Amino acid sequence: MESGLLSLLSISIDFETSHLFFPRIIHWIMAGLLALILVTKVAPFMVAVKRGERTIPIVGEARDNFRFFGTLVLIVAYFYFMAVVGDIFPYTGYGFLMVSMAFVLLMSLLYLHDWTKKAITIVVVNAIVAPSLAWFVLAKLFTITLP
Amino acid sequence: MDFLFLLDITFFLLAGLGALIGIIFGAIPGMTATMAVAVCLPLTYALGLHHGLALLLGLYVGGISGGMVPAVLLNIPGTPSSITTTFDGYPMAQKGEGEKALKICVVASVVGGLISAAVLFLFAPLLADFSIKFSYVEKFLIILLALSVIASLSSSMLIGIFSGVIGIWLSLIGDYSISDGGNGKTRLMFDFMEPYLFEGFSLLPVLIGIFGISTILLEAEKGAKSGLVNERIKISRGGGFSLSVFNGRLTNLVRSSFIGTFVGMLPGVGGSAASVLAYTQEKNLTRDSSQMGKGAPQGLIASESANNALTGGALIPLLSLGIPGDSTTAVLIGAFTLQGIQVGPLFIPENTETWYVMMTALVFANIVMFFLMFYAIKYIAKVVMVPKHILFPIIVMMCVVGAYAINYGIMFDVWTLLIFGILGYLVQKIGLEVAPLIIGFILGSQAEIYFVKSLESFGTYSIFFTRSPIAVVLWGLIVASVMFAIVMGFKSRARQKMELTQVTGSTPTASGKGHDTN
Repeated sequence: MESGLLSLLSISIDFETSHLFFPRIIHWIMAGLLALILVTKVAPFMVAVKRGERTIPIVGEARDNFRFFGTLVLIVAYFYFMAVVGDIFPYTGYGFLMVSMAFVLLMSLLYLHDWTKKAITIVVVNAIVAPSLAWFVLAKLFTITLP
Repeated sequence: MDFLFLLDITFFLLAGLGALIGIIFGAIPGMTATMAVAVCLPLTYALGLHHGLALLLGLYVGGISGGMVPAVLLNIPGTPSSITTTFDGYPMAQKGEGEKALKICVVASVVGGLISAAVLFLFAPLLADFSIKFSYVEKFLIILLALSVIASLSSSMLIGIFSGVIGIWLSLIGDYSISDGGNGKTRLMFDFMEPYLFEGFSLLPVLIGIFGISTILLEAEKGAKSGLVNERIKISRGGGFSLSVFNGRLTNLVRSSFIGTFVGMLPGVGGSAASVLAYTQEKNLTRDSSQMGKGAPQGLIASESANNALTGGALIPLLSLGIPGDSTTAVLIGAFTLQGIQVGPLFIPENTETWYVMMTALVFANIVMFFLMFYAIKYIAKVVMVPKHILFPIIVMMCVVGAYAINYGIMFDVWTLLIFGILGYLVQKIGLEVAPLIIGFILGSQAEIYFVKSLESFGTYSIFFTRSPIAVVLWGLIVASVMFAIVMGFKSRARQKMELTQVTGSTPTASGKGHDTN
């Protein structure tokens, strides 16, 4: 009886496929947990959604779409152009400096609610000063690699 | 005492500067200590290990402390851990006792911070000494225990475990590293990803993305309103603070500090758990709790000493076992790796000087935090007004620097920011938990090695139960933490049912508010 149990527990791992051994276990655990969550959490939640007591996250929520998607677009453009401009001036960090200025300016304007003259002046000054300062301290003083 | 030669004026300046920046971050609602550490990491790339640690520990202490400012003045917890500070702080501020409330918080904070530093100093080397004898089997079980504790203290154990497992899964992407005894083959990805992901996702871009970018996305979704324009900050009418407030409150102070330290030691448990626990204990144990929630200093003392005591507590498992106690110490792991230091049982014996330097930085940061906040609180209180349209772009910019420079200029690390920023956003939106996910991500690849290597050398699953008495004890603890979660789950469900039957209308209670936050 005991030896049967021991042989059940014994395991040999083939080195060639050992990189898949642990991920496979994790997949099974994930699948099991997901099933449990679907039954105990998601199903009652969906019932509540149907009754109109709850709303589906993300899809059913109110959101400032302009600022949310604006942020995403700006970040993607920021990352993309940083590399492009950085390749034109390699090892100088100018890509970071120039694109950051544009990014900080646009993102500040995106989030600015009251477009007064004073607020815009602050935004513009900040967009020039903050990236320059970061570039100077990090790239020049600390010689950190920047795009 | 050799380490004294390592301490120069720059060291103390950096620790002080860290505390100041941390306080500012903590004081701005929505910005946390974790974010402060993550965003300022690039500054440490050029600093040496000891200077870098001084800055980071300063940020950590300052960040946790700063949360009290908006909690008291605006009824908004600046960091999750100051949630219970709002219960008594805001009523005091409304009575015109804002400065008094803040000063009580500052004193409680520094006591909590120093008590936990003392516990760290005494306890971490002992734990490290003990765990040095652990084999792969015990190390795997320790990780399993860490994950089960995180999960059992999450608002729902099932969700906590699931979040942790997702973190593990993410950490397995990449190759099964040859340097760790693996076969060097990649898994969990398509062939075209191999050039980017051969070594998996880098830890720091992942952390900065999850804590930096996703916070920005969550705020952007709400329109990034400053929302404070119409609020007037009521700070003080003539102070009125004296140390006599603490008369008869020493037990509370010390008890809350120890609660904070202990909760900090539990991996992945956020600061809100510490302060909520200390607050409820004070409410249960004190003779006169009728004023709590209406502006009683004792509530502030409990809350703030507990949340600052987290700092020392969370460093204990980090430095002795290599397991981060909270999300901020998870980022600190990244900083250590960056400096080529592996945290774990061997850290303290092999890096005695660094250990003493860290302790000095921690204590000094607490003291600087005290003086900064005690004497300059009026000016610091103004930073809660920094407009978000100025702050957020700068934060994104610093995140980029941190991610790009970490591996000396890899653009994919910057994209990792965005990937994990969006992932972090989705995770929080659909109700999964970030802390277990991050701890799972950090420990996942080690867990794999310990698990697979144990099985390869012993050839049977039973080794995890029979290797040593310690293994059996660890299993006992794992079972206990799971049982604890199940019992607590039943209790809270029973209470909810009771509340539902009692209250037909919907009047949310303060206790309910405390429980769903972490």
